[in-house]
Amino acid sequence: MDDLTEMLKGTLEGCVLEIIGSEETYGYAITRRLNELGFADVIEGTVYTILLRLERNGLVQVTKRPSEVGPPRKFYALNDAGREELAKFWAKWQYLSSRIDRLREGGR
Amino acid sequence: MNFWEKVTGSDLTRDWKAFGARVEALPDDYQEAWNQIIAHLFPYGDFTGRNLTPILDSALGLLEVSAADGQSVHEVLGDDIQGFCTALAGAAGARAQRDRWREQLNRTVARKLSRLGG
Repeated sequence: MDDLTEMLKGTLEGCVLEIIGSEETYGYAITRRLNELGFADVIEGTVYTILLRLERNGLVQVTKRPSEVGPPRKFYALNDAGREELAKFWAKWQYLSSRIDRLREGGR
Repeated sequence: MNFWEKVTGSDLTRDWKAFGARVEALPDDYQEAWNQIIAHLFPYGDFTGRNLTPILDSALGLLEVSAADGQSVHEVLGDDIQGFCTALAGAAGARAQRDRWREQLNRTVARKLSRLGG
């Protein structure tokens, strides 16, 4: 689906948190995962800036690991604050999606 | 950064030299993107541009890892290098010259107004 970017903007950070939450991973793998899910517009640069923000806000634990090719990679895992943030994200998402569904169904 | 480096800027020269060597190892299209990144980040620099060093270092790190993966620079940064740089500078806490001008203007106006009132 094209032109999802604007709608995705606010939720992408939560998606990245969820992906990191399921296993320790790195930037490129996160981008690939989002692309596989159907978010084709998402590029590595976008994910990278989100990761920087998560790091600055103290939500992730970063480990540098040597890679077979090229310079070492940064791997990300959630810390306690990150897990808390992720739970908050899903609560907000639940709220938003239930309201929007209700709107579409025309009920109240 | 010690006092000597602060006065002479020798740390900056050294960092930029190190950047240059790393950039030369990148593919041509990546080097082109790097030049654009520098151009777009430049307005976020402070007086000496020292605040940009860690930002540029992290951006260069991304380019290096992606180039080693064999991705094209377009796959990594897309069409909107300026947008990327804005997000990058924001994430690292750098503020644009424009923000400072705005603040200065606000202060000046507030001062003039308070003088009028008095």
